[in-house]
Amino acid sequence: MSSTYSDRDSRDGDSRDGGGPPRRKFGRFGARRREVLPEEPLEYKNVAYLAKFVSANGRIQSRKRTNFSGQNQRKLALAIKQARMIGLLPFVGRL
Amino acid sequence: MQRTYECMCLLDNREVRNGWEPLKQAVTGVFTKHGGNILSARRWDERRIAYPIKGQNRGTYLLVYFAAETQSVTAIRRDLQFNESVLRSLLLDCEEVPQSAYEPEAAFDVNAIPPDDSDAVTEVETPAEEASGEEASAEDASGDAEPAADAKTEDK
Repeated sequence: MSSTYSDRDSRDGDSRDGGGPPRRKFGRFGARRREVLPEEPLEYKNVAYLAKFVSANGRIQSRKRTNFSGQNQRKLALAIKQARMIGLLPFVGRL
Repeated sequence: MQRTYECMCLLDNREVRNGWEPLKQAVTGVFTKHGGNILSARRWDERRIAYPIKGQNRGTYLLVYFAAETQSVTAIRRDLQFNESVLRSLLLDCEEVPQSAYEPEAAFDVNAIPPDDSDAVTEVETPAEEASGEEASAEDASGDAEPAADAKTEDK
């Protein structure tokens, strides 16, 4: 069985020199991620804190940058979107 | 089934200048009309809006906590949309009402509202509100355009 998998790996993956694990095109997401907890509550009224996680173009920063857990990243995205709807944060551009 | 809700309303400053208390009563009347029980209604802030809404660049935020039947929420949302003085509204579930919501509202002088095109932030002595825009990160990236390295590579 194992030989079957190794054969498949060597065929499908981009293994270098035929040996070792298949080479990944991109780094594994969150491989050495250090989880960060939010310093302030992630709610739409906390505009000054939310603005830190918005890029100059108004885009929400990814988990790679915020280092939040999945749950907190979802809270952050929701809070930013709610703040945008009520006119506290811009959809495009910086505040 | 009764639940507690939180509603943030963005009010038109043209209406606010005509009188704060009558406008507040009119907006909270939307909630009571559909059987809502107002727990707290306070002015949250008067500030510049992130983008123009109905030709307005500034607005006054009213934060209302109320308890209402779940079936009445749709009607309240619809009535807020029909209300001309409410530019935007955000109605959310609320687990518990924060203690700061029960503090008495600070005096609000509607004549002190800056003109619509002003950038000034009117922080009218609200004790529970310190989330002003101190994050004014207006630093420009220094134009460190590196001079092109014009080192001649002369091969001999």
